[in-house]
Amino acid sequence: MDTTAQPQYDNGVVKYLTVGAIVFLVIGTFFGTFAASQLAWPALNFDIAEITFARLRVMHTNTVIFAFGGMTLMATAFYTVQRTNGVKLWSNSMAWWTAILFTIGLLLTVVSISLGMTTGKEYHEQEWPLAIAIAVVWTMYTFNFVMTIAIRNKETHSHVYVSNWFFLGMMIAITYLYVVNGLAIPVSLFRSYSMFAGVQDAMIQWWWGHNAVGFFLTAGFLAIMYYFVPKQAQRPIYSYRLSVIHFWALMFGYVWLGAHHLQYTALPDWTGSLGAVISLAMIIPSWGGALNGMLTLSGAWDRLRTDYILRFLIISLAFYAMSTFEGPVMAAKTVNALSHYTDWTVGHVHSGALGWVAMVSIGALYHMVMKLWKTEMYSMQLINFHFWLATIGTVFYIVAMWVSGIMQGLMWRAYDEYGTLAYTFAESVAAMHPYYAMRAFGGLLFFSGAVVMLYNVVMTIRMANARASKPVEATA
Amino acid sequence: MSSIEHYFSTDWSALTGQDWAGLIITVLVFVGMLITFSLALRPSKRKELEEQKHKILEDD
Repeated sequence: MDTTAQPQYDNGVVKYLTVGAIVFLVIGTFFGTFAASQLAWPALNFDIAEITFARLRVMHTNTVIFAFGGMTLMATAFYTVQRTNGVKLWSNSMAWWTAILFTIGLLLTVVSISLGMTTGKEYHEQEWPLAIAIAVVWTMYTFNFVMTIAIRNKETHSHVYVSNWFFLGMMIAITYLYVVNGLAIPVSLFRSYSMFAGVQDAMIQWWWGHNAVGFFLTAGFLAIMYYFVPKQAQRPIYSYRLSVIHFWALMFGYVWLGAHHLQYTALPDWTGSLGAVISLAMIIPSWGGALNGMLTLSGAWDRLRTDYILRFLIISLAFYAMSTFEGPVMAAKTVNALSHYTDWTVGHVHSGALGWVAMVSIGALYHMVMKLWKTEMYSMQLINFHFWLATIGTVFYIVAMWVSGIMQGLMWRAYDEYGTLAYTFAESVAAMHPYYAMRAFGGLLFFSGAVVMLYNVVMTIRMANARASKPVEATA
Repeated sequence: MSSIEHYFSTDWSALTGQDWAGLIITVLVFVGMLITFSLALRPSKRKELEEQKHKILEDD
């Protein structure tokens, strides 16, 4: 038996999902930039119902979170579970069905939202037939992942690497959160009403809503971090024990946070306090995890000068640390009284979404492109260019939203000497305009980076395919 | 009753079934977290856990 042979993996479906994720990154950031521009220049909705802000914004969130984020999670999970367990996927055909049905489901989601079909539940807008289809596809994804771990060679791979724990935690949590929040009574093919009512509906909604952030956008992408940072840095993770602590703290803690979205509402006061307290406690494991990733580079920081992919991965951890500090602070009631309903929240979300989720994904996607097609990138300089477009775009975006959000909150609660409001709501909207323009510019930079990435990846694949076909031509 | 005693006082008889369920789950989660952390952090486990981090560097 040849023990030096490289293991064979199912790479086709991973390649499809990798390219799909990058295409959806371009589409999703285009929707976002367009929506941001409409806020600055409302005439850009052209009086077309399908692209008015209310629909475009939801098309944006679904495309970037579920299409780009979801495809990245599927690509990286299928890629890493094979390598960390030394085995091919349990079912390659099921993985292909999962990938194709997921793509169709997401395209139908975007189209249905543009046609005005929505449950009105944030981050869960799909009407019931699509929601059921997506839940089934998600279950297929989870089952295939679990079975791949189950069929590993337990003698050579007795321990399951920690990135798999994060993926699995994400898959299980998202399944029950998505299903429970989606429980609804259909009244027609494209209309349903939630089984919950009033404040219970709000609580369930934000139990799902914040955990879409906590599990889908955090645990899943931490799985990516725990695999791809060591691989790209070619150094083991700083502390494996810390990664274990990070995992369990996240699993035990995150599900309690949702109520901090509902401070000063009809929800009992103690639930909001509990949400805020656990949010603040979560700073410790979050920062532990961020440091664990960053300290992996101990003694090799110079690599950041030359390895542009590693730059994406490491700066994502800086944004992760920043947004996991900012979030708990905003959850505290005193700060929440100022920040809630303002653009500060939008800024916070994007420091996490652009700075953390997108950057770590981009680093992992570049890494996988080179490994899957067994080639160097078409242009490393374009990756460097992309890095700066993405970083400067993110900074523009979040600074604009911080300033405008805090100003907005202060204007809303300013009183004059007679005890009446100092500003009308329209005045606060007018004051936002320069910041909305600045935000749109930041978004444009980030979108441009995504286009550069797509071009670079397409050229890399063409280059690799051309190289692969040469020996065949020579022997023909 | 001091203000601190007042703050932490609880009318146990007023707790509903749901309150008790929530309380028990919260305490169990807390205990579970303590057990998990102590298992991961015990010194005898250190070598075994830290060895795992090198394996992925040779997986492809």
